[in-house]
Amino acid sequence: MSERAFNIGAQIKRGSAELAILSVLAEGPLHGYEISKRIERQSQGLLSFNLASLYPLLYRMEKRGWVKGNWEGPAGGRRRRYYRLGPAGKRRLVPLREEWGQLFQALNSLAGVSHA
Amino acid sequence: MPDWREIARQGLGPLHFEAERADEIIGELAGHLEDLYSDAVRQGQSEAQAVQSALSAAADWDELRREIQLAAKEEIIMNYRVKTLWLPGAFAIALSGIALRLFEIPSASSPSVFWAQTGLVVYWRWLACLPVIGALGAYWSRHVGGRLIERAMAVSLPALGMVCLPLLMFPFVLVYDLIRFHSFPFVPMGVLLLGWGVLPEAALLVGALPFMRGRVANPEPAAASH
Repeated sequence: MSERAFNIGAQIKRGSAELAILSVLAEGPLHGYEISKRIERQSQGLLSFNLASLYPLLYRMEKRGWVKGNWEGPAGGRRRRYYRLGPAGKRRLVPLREEWGQLFQALNSLAGVSHA
Repeated sequence: MPDWREIARQGLGPLHFEAERADEIIGELAGHLEDLYSDAVRQGQSEAQAVQSALSAAADWDELRREIQLAAKEEIIMNYRVKTLWLPGAFAIALSGIALRLFEIPSASSPSVFWAQTGLVVYWRWLACLPVIGALGAYWSRHVGGRLIERAMAVSLPALGMVCLPLLMFPFVLVYDLIRFHSFPFVPMGVLLLGWGVLPEAALLVGALPFMRGRVANPEPAAASH
């Protein structure tokens, strides 16, 4: 992880963490560890979750119906809780992407901050 | 390999969830720690280093436990308020509106003027219905676990709704009367608040009184499983 990396739970509003989780789950079901690794990899190590920032947020999102968790795994083998997007999560992802796109556009216009 | 489930259980301490849900959470966190550990070993770390590496992901167990319980409680508190305050309150507002419409509005051309000098209008038949409506609202709220404050708020909503509009209009009426008549319209506004706010509120609370007694078994919304 790069030195510029920051803890997503502490440094970025919850909305961006929700966007990150919904975005990776839009690609397919993942368990908690895979979610954190996928986000870290796709953000080139800039965004990282620890247990305290990932699981409480997943549980909140599950209660809102954005994601749905199910225990899956081979009989007698290790079972994991896989999360997939729920209908409410799919609906939420569209405006979230737009809002964050607009925010980055605004920051870009204002201060030359680009999200590309 | 360490017993990650036991580490997670010890780290989290007592969780205020049903046993099955608590076990699921512990199992999920233990799985995450095990994955971290396995990855670290695969990358060539010694077992001790890998254990430390995995444990660093849960550096603050207290924060983790707090956050997990808050995540559960957030929804429960919301449901609790909806269940004990907003639903009984909406029910009381609806009944109050229906009663007003059924018993009074058709005869609005000849309302029951109680105090003609001040223009205080009292809709007696509607007012007579309000204790029953208050009783129903308070009973509902108590039945679903509402505390005294939720019961009182739920039955007060019809009267609060009635006085909201006059209160919102008050500044405009005040300015208008000041410009037009060079006087403050305190008496008419007071009469309005009395007729639509204070008296209905009193009637609602009188009806609710029998259901204000009696504590619910577990008034505080506690964290529970999904």
